[in-house]
Amino acid sequence: MLFLMAIAAGVLFAAGIFMILRRSMVKVLVGILLLGYAANLLLFNAAPLIRGAPPLIDPVIGVPTVYADPVPQALILTAIVISFGVTAFAVVLIRRAYAVTGTGDLDNMHCTDIPCESEEILSDLEDEIL
Amino acid sequence: MTRMIDIYSILPVMIVAGWALLLLVVDLWIPRHRKGITALLAAIGLAIALGFVLASSGNTILGFNQMVVLDGFSSFMQVLFLVSGMVAVALAYDYIQRMNINHGEFYVLMMFSIAGMMLMSQAYNLLMVFLALELLSIPLYVLTGFARTRLESEEASLKYFLLGAFASGFVLYGTALIFSATGQLDFVGIAAVVTAGSANSVLFLIGAALLLVGFGFKIAAVPFQMWTPDVYQGAPTPVTAFMSVAVKAAGFAALMRVFLVLFPSLSEHLTPILWVMAALTMIVGNIVALAQNNIKRMLAYSAIAHAGYILMAFVAFGNGEVVGNTVAATLFYLVAYGLTSFGAWALVIVIEREYGKGILLDDLAGIGKHYPWLGVAMLVFMLSFAGVPLTMGFWGKFYLFRTAVQAGYIGLAIIGLLTSVASAYYYLRVVVYMFMKPGEPKLQINPWVSLVIGVAALAVLLLSLIPWTILELASRAVLLLQ
Amino acid sequence: MTALSITILTGFLIAILAPFLTRLMKHRAAFVLALYPLAVVIQLLALQPDTLTAPSIQFPWVPSMGLWMTFTLDGLGFLIAMLIAGIGTLVILYGGEYLRDDPYLERFFLWVIIFMASMLGVVTSGNALVLFVFWELTSISSFFLIGYKFEYESARAAAWQALLVTGAGGLAMLAGFVLLGQITGSFEINQWMQNSNLVQESALAPAAFILILLGAMTKSAQFPFHFWLPNAMEAPTPVSAYLHSATMVKAGVYLLARLFPVLGGLALWNQVVPWVGLLTLVGGALLALGQTDLKKLLAYTTVSSLGGMVFLLGLGTPLAVKSAMLFLLTHALYKGTLFLVAGGVDHSAGSRDIRKLGKLAKLMPFTALAAGLAALSMAGIPPLIGFISKEYVYESTYYYSNLPFILTGLAVLANVANVAVAGWVGIRPFWQQPEQKDEDLHPHKESLWLWIPPLVLAITGLFMGVFSQGTAQTWVAAATSAVLQEMSKVKLSLWHGITPMLLLSVLTLMIGVVVYLASRTLIPRLAAFWNKLSSVGPNIFYSRSMRAFLSVAGWQTKILQSGYLRYYIITILVTTVTLAVVTLATRYDSLPNPQWTQPRFYDVIFIVIIIVSAILVTRAESRLATITLLGAIGFSIAILFLLYSAPDLAMVQFAVETLTVVLFVLVIYQLPKYTKSNYPIHANVLHIIVSAAGGIMMVVLMLLTSAVPSNSTLAPYFMESSLPLAKGHNVVNVILVDFRGLDTLGEITVLMIAAIGVFALLGLKKGSKRGGNG
Repeated sequence: MLFLMAIAAGVLFAAGIFMILRRSMVKVLVGILLLGYAANLLLFNAAPLIRGAPPLIDPVIGVPTVYADPVPQALILTAIVISFGVTAFAVVLIRRAYAVTGTGDLDNMHCTDIPCESEEILSDLEDEIL
Repeated sequence: MTRMIDIYSILPVMIVAGWALLLLVVDLWIPRHRKGITALLAAIGLAIALGFVLASSGNTILGFNQMVVLDGFSSFMQVLFLVSGMVAVALAYDYIQRMNINHGEFYVLMMFSIAGMMLMSQAYNLLMVFLALELLSIPLYVLTGFARTRLESEEASLKYFLLGAFASGFVLYGTALIFSATGQLDFVGIAAVVTAGSANSVLFLIGAALLLVGFGFKIAAVPFQMWTPDVYQGAPTPVTAFMSVAVKAAGFAALMRVFLVLFPSLSEHLTPILWVMAALTMIVGNIVALAQNNIKRMLAYSAIAHAGYILMAFVAFGNGEVVGNTVAATLFYLVAYGLTSFGAWALVIVIEREYGKGILLDDLAGIGKHYPWLGVAMLVFMLSFAGVPLTMGFWGKFYLFRTAVQAGYIGLAIIGLLTSVASAYYYLRVVVYMFMKPGEPKLQINPWVSLVIGVAALAVLLLSLIPWTILELASRAVLLLQ
Repeated sequence: MTALSITILTGFLIAILAPFLTRLMKHRAAFVLALYPLAVVIQLLALQPDTLTAPSIQFPWVPSMGLWMTFTLDGLGFLIAMLIAGIGTLVILYGGEYLRDDPYLERFFLWVIIFMASMLGVVTSGNALVLFVFWELTSISSFFLIGYKFEYESARAAAWQALLVTGAGGLAMLAGFVLLGQITGSFEINQWMQNSNLVQESALAPAAFILILLGAMTKSAQFPFHFWLPNAMEAPTPVSAYLHSATMVKAGVYLLARLFPVLGGLALWNQVVPWVGLLTLVGGALLALGQTDLKKLLAYTTVSSLGGMVFLLGLGTPLAVKSAMLFLLTHALYKGTLFLVAGGVDHSAGSRDIRKLGKLAKLMPFTALAAGLAALSMAGIPPLIGFISKEYVYESTYYYSNLPFILTGLAVLANVANVAVAGWVGIRPFWQQPEQKDEDLHPHKESLWLWIPPLVLAITGLFMGVFSQGTAQTWVAAATSAVLQEMSKVKLSLWHGITPMLLLSVLTLMIGVVVYLASRTLIPRLAAFWNKLSSVGPNIFYSRSMRAFLSVAGWQTKILQSGYLRYYIITILVTTVTLAVVTLATRYDSLPNPQWTQPRFYDVIFIVIIIVSAILVTRAESRLATITLLGAIGFSIAILFLLYSAPDLAMVQFAVETLTVVLFVLVIYQLPKYTKSNYPIHANVLHIIVSAAGGIMMVVLMLLTSAVPSNSTLAPYFMESSLPLAKGHNVVNVILVDFRGLDTLGEITVLMIAAIGVFALLGLKKGSKRGGNG
């Protein structure tokens, strides 16, 4: 089972990375979601996988002898909730960005970078010191 | 189970967050043209929190089942964050009116981000670290894109968000690995397991490396620095100023806390990585800055370079003899760099007339002649950045270099020295354009912004005459180590 | 001493006030400002040290780091401080007149006084860090003074060059100081002297020595860093006279002399320093012979003389040290005079080209007198002090144990050049016919304040020569004692019989005169020769490397900051995977073995759904399909959670998944359509490789984590205490709301902030598209 779980997480992670490298903003967001799933699986795996023994205290028996570790579960809960918040925010952010820039293509988004001008800048700067 | 002392230990954080919430509500009744009131209220909230931080400093408390800690280090950092916040409010007040993005949420979000940073400085549990990281980052994504109608701002926000979410993912991965290596999440527990030798060293080490990736992103260390120039350029300038000082400080707070408490045993493996990171950060930051003629981008690269100098001293984190100096030197440098950086960005705000129209070096021409005081202030900031004597920047660098040399990283210190020489060139180029090129600049100077410039310039100069005051405070702010 | 150090530091305040005073009084401010160096001169004379015990004073600076602001005045500091303050007084008076109608006169006063105070600081600091602080300040003020005529590209370039060269050297020096600090545990220079044995034994000492030597070499324009000094002649002449001849460039010599007791005992000292000096001495002299510009002539001979001083200190014999100190004094006197004269000539005649100048003595009699006296001193003719100085230099080389004849011969060669240049600068423009007629030149009469300062300096030189047993002797003796750290007697006299030195002097003079007369044929040829050679000289090296540096910077920017998000992500990911792989590879033997368990049927189904959906997502070109596939993944994971004892997780995952799908469906038509990525094949391959590497890393990490035996002590604790302490049966819930309540509070805050962010993003009017003026 471990092995399958590991493969699943690996595929999710690889697919996530692949999606993040796309040009479309929405696809990048999907990639981040996939990475989130992979993270949850990793966290879930941090404690031994145990079937059918949730960390509940039986009113009669008390603490069971076999139980799944509750700590990673609490951790994953936090992670899921936060990633939902982040997703909601991201959807709105992308919607906004689309409204402002009129494009969903990340390749159209490098106007803050000006490497194309650097030749010109360099010659200016050279004039300055030499 | 919650004791009063627990509440007391995070009272300032709660004040800032609670005040921000209240402000969000109150802001609804403040008319659009009176948003100055919101700014004032935000500043008051920060000041009150500052009062509480100062009042509670000197104590050492582990609160909430050892999830948070209050110690000299956290108090020092929190003062830094709160003061940065107040300065950022002063810088933003006029700017967001001028740029027509005058909304009360601006201040609310900034306060939340500060709350996140403050929590970061107190976090004593990996889950807290992750939460604090998200808490401080999400408001910043929004603030970066706050000039909503502007392409640059939107773009910067999106990039920052996508990369930021990616990087905080690594913190989560790292947390998972450290948990499976030690079975613990809080620092006290992890440290105990590590001391007992029952941690799985491979997973622990990879976990540490993944955390380093996440924090490296926040402090903009090479090779995780790429977002910096794009975001610094696209974000509204007061936000940039805030980021360049406070976010960087928060990143270092997390880095120091986590590494010094949890990973001294890994220093043998982490030191080479940090060494390379520090060297690359100094080299890349400084050399790329040489090729910029856009002031915002140049300052962004310079911010990267300065992170490199701090990392240079941080490489010695596992060396018990110098680690105290590392912390003190880092804190001192953050103060020196913060003052200088705020001053320089405030000048950028003065000069920036239209959003997104990048400020080029040529736009500085003639300022020295027509606004001599601004010119002199910029001279002071640039000299301080370059680490020229009689500025705070000099002492900051000096302590960092000294720590590196003490710890035996002479090669690294030499790289730092050489890159400092290169940096003098691009910093002084700014001065040359201001004083030595003819131009007819027309500036509108807001009193709050000029107050920031004046105070920062004086502080950079005068504190450099009495550097021991800050150094003493910084040395006292040593972390609670396990 | 207290009073003196306070006076020196007041200089910075005076400098700041100088611009205001200049606005009030115009150039007459010079008369007020000159009082500052004059006050220093008076205080210096009152303190005049003639023994080894130097008065000193300490202010605490950063005592926690053992940092004290120590000021001390010994014979060495006194000698140079006298030159700084004395010549400084004259230069301020001169500069006020020279730049009389210049709109930026205030900047001149500002920086000259800052320089003066810093330079005085350099020579009176007893603490190396304080010395460094002042040292860098002199570089900065030199930068602004060289760039004074900033409208000229050449002035700015020269200013940069001087700053980068001397600034870099200064930092190297600081590094050397830090090493010495490591060795001795102090930054106090006299601690270094007392612990010089520690230094000599230390393995770090050679590195410290080389770094400090670099500082001295750059500042004092030693080969191969000499090139900045002639270029610095772009500065106004009073600046050249003061900084680039009489004082600042002596700082390197001062540094070597100051640290002679600390580092002089190193074998390296004798192996390196003399050769550096000798090369500079001879090279500078030969370079000077190819010049026609008055200031360039003086600049190159200054380089040569500085080389001479470094050379003498490098020899390190008591005699050589004496000659170095004497030479330092003499050189400042005559070279300062000649620079001021050159400025006066330039001012009156409008040219500095020696071929065009001539017969100026009639118009400028006093300038001519000053020039003549200084030239005689420079040429080493009695009864001027330059003569005594030259005799001493010859004596040092002649009696040196190693290669005396070669050293003496080279010294003679350098002095021959000095004789010729002295004639060209000090005699020829005033008394001879110009070589070329230039009709555009209309010399006018000299102004009062342009001839008084040089004449005062020249007469001082004469005076010190004639009465050499007086002040000159005392000062040089005190300085020598300070350098050698033992009381030294110095006897200066114009005549000590017919000695080899005297014969050498006569020989020098004779050849010098020949060279002087041969100027018409010699200068153009040498100039052509140097021109040819300059294409490989350090100056070209400097500009080439600057250019290369900038293009590297540009190239690096292009590579590293492409602006494409995906490159950033690839970089981060590759770094991370590399880190992980390196870690795993180095710890290969301690890797745990995963525990294999048999999968069940349902597990396989859901895992397959996850894997297939994840692969399909990457191929999906419709937004709706993507959402469906994401939903499938999310729900499958939820079921896995349910199967493996995490019912709470499963609930939350179901809820969140549903919400996510709803959210996407709601806004789907407001989201941009997919853009075809259209990457070239190699990019796609790269992406697949990177993704696969990431995926494999993840698989390995997963296997590793599950292989580690659970050693959680937390779980039993929570299980045991959740009922008694928190009255809860569901342990996960108890952890969330009770044990880790703060986390949950933080989590809620994060959600809330995200909500505020959403609100802030949505709550605004839409702006114009694509970069309008919003």
